[in-house]
Amino acid sequence: MTVVVTLPPAPRAVPELEVDPGGIRAYGADLLAASAQVDDLGTFAAGSARIAGWTGLGATAYHDAIRPTGRLADAMSLALRGVARRVDQHADAMQALVERRTTLAGEHDHLVTTIAGLRDRVAAGTAADAAAIQAACDDCAARVRTYETDLDRWATDLMAEEEAMREAFARVQTLDQVERRYGGVADPADGALDSMPGSGAPPSEVKSWWDGLTREQQLAIIAASPGSIGNRDGIPPWARDAANTVSLDRDLADWGNLEDQGLLTDDERQWLDNARAAQDAITTIEDGTDPVTGLPVSTTLYVYDPSAFDGDGAVAVAAGDLGTAQDVAITVPGFGTDGESAPFHADRTLDLYEATRNVDGTGSVATMCWIGYDAPDNLPWAGEGWDAAGVAGEGMASAGGDRLADMLDGLRDSRDGDPAHVTVIGHSYGSTTTGLAAHDHGIPVDDLVFVGSPGVGGDTDSAADTGVDPGHVWAGSNSRDPVADLGNHGWVHLESVLDGAGLGDDPAEDDFGAIRFEAESIDRPDHLDFGEHSTYFNPDTESLYNLSQIVSGNYDDVLTADPVTDPWYDGPQDPEWDRDPTAPDTDGKP
Amino acid sequence: MDVVPFAMGATARSWDEQHLDLQAAAGQIADAPTGGFTAGVSGAAARFASAWQRHATELGDTAEARADGLRTSAADYVRTDQAVASDNRFLLDAVLREAR
Repeated sequence: MTVVVTLPPAPRAVPELEVDPGGIRAYGADLLAASAQVDDLGTFAAGSARIAGWTGLGATAYHDAIRPTGRLADAMSLALRGVARRVDQHADAMQALVERRTTLAGEHDHLVTTIAGLRDRVAAGTAADAAAIQAACDDCAARVRTYETDLDRWATDLMAEEEAMREAFARVQTLDQVERRYGGVADPADGALDSMPGSGAPPSEVKSWWDGLTREQQLAIIAASPGSIGNRDGIPPWARDAANTVSLDRDLADWGNLEDQGLLTDDERQWLDNARAAQDAITTIEDGTDPVTGLPVSTTLYVYDPSAFDGDGAVAVAAGDLGTAQDVAITVPGFGTDGESAPFHADRTLDLYEATRNVDGTGSVATMCWIGYDAPDNLPWAGEGWDAAGVAGEGMASAGGDRLADMLDGLRDSRDGDPAHVTVIGHSYGSTTTGLAAHDHGIPVDDLVFVGSPGVGGDTDSAADTGVDPGHVWAGSNSRDPVADLGNHGWVHLESVLDGAGLGDDPAEDDFGAIRFEAESIDRPDHLDFGEHSTYFNPDTESLYNLSQIVSGNYDDVLTADPVTDPWYDGPQDPEWDRDPTAPDTDGKP
Repeated sequence: MDVVPFAMGATARSWDEQHLDLQAAAGQIADAPTGGFTAGVSGAAARFASAWQRHATELGDTAEARADGLRTSAADYVRTDQAVASDNRFLLDAVLREAR
């Protein structure tokens, strides 16, 4: 006897959806950067384009003519900005639709499998099974109906979103439309900028001002005046990133256009090189993959100023979300650092991010390379000279320390919610900068790390002098690294005997009182070698492994090392010289 | 020394810079990638970019016209203004020359 039941209907397949939200965002970013250019013309026409003291018919004609030009530019800027924002929302909406489609496709496959199973049960069943099979079929049919409803809703939402985006494009396609919609409309950015705290205001005051703005005003400032907030301490990381991205996109377009026309000045050439390096640094990090989620690593362009320091440039790029991460690490590079070296440092930043994620995948991490001070941009050991003003003295480090302290204060103040666990890692001359920032300003960090340090500043004689709990002051010193051997040892203080030369004490020495960690490399030579100075952030090294443990707060897992000693009867003694180095896995790759 | 013609020359150069910046903006809009949109939207995105490339280019041309007009006005101003001493003419000529 056959079993007679009503099988559930076959569910419709989910239509394909070819869309790239990241590509949509790139389109919107181009429009936003272009809107900033157009806005500049409006500002110019209303301000410095006016010529004081010029009178007569020609002057009247000129000033009458530039007024509508400025009005048109302002209206165009607002229109373009509005579409750019709508495009960004469209990208978010399409991303959500992609995710809903994935869920629907999974449900579809599950239903198809269930129905196939029901067919098998019918084929093999008896009359006694009929009621149970029918109940299962009814249950499945109900799920199919729910699925079909969700599928219809998804398709409707997709069509509605596409239509809304097309309408947004069509609303301001012509200049007549632009004039009708935006002619004479005040820019929300203008009033907001008028109330911006002055340049000497503390980050907390800047944060209060920012928080007091409407979302519309915040977004307007990012588009119309990105330079006013992109590098301003107290502004939250997401807004700095958005503003600096507008500035970067605009600069690349501007100077790229001049380059194409053969009109670049020497200064602009240098700035363009720095801008391209910043873009390459971002790409370097974005090309990384989070070892826990398998997703691309997000970036934050926290500092961007390609003309800073007489063209050396300033840039800071983070891997991860600097505004929300529980563990935040900032690396301060040293010798040979300028804007053009950003991609190299971004690569290290990514390595530290990946290593820390491998150590503690449950938390959230952000790592940032901070090229925010005027570092000696020569590599003495590469035949580029020992720049007395820069390398052999603390002047550049001291000025850099001031900037580093301001940046750290700003980062602390700009974050909402629980404060992050912050680690600052000074490498090479950057350790001198970091040491001076700590000693002179009392920086708000949880862990302070010196690696490959030639000295941490002449007034810092011990870990306690940094203002950070000595139990959280760390030193990584490769025994073959000649730069790490430059610091003061024992009673010999170079900065006093050489009239200001020298960079302070070796933080890896016992007298200093920091916790030394293992930082040898397995292929180290049997003699001092400047190549070892650049190994501290390499994957699968003791140093990177230990740095990631400190950054994630896993102090018990740090592989500590005995400090350097300097007995009165002999030169410095390094117990790490004879230890067999190891190669801990930091990247999870074979 | 009359500063007005120098101000006119400097402002003309600023208009030149605006022209170049808007050229760049026009190129940026034209190059905005439309490949990320769905087929149902990409056409509208391309038409928008094309229209706005023209708008930005025209605005840039207006800026360039303002620059050229100012230079002409400044030259006229100098011809009729005896206050511009001959030893300042050299400086003024430099300011009134289109740099780029």
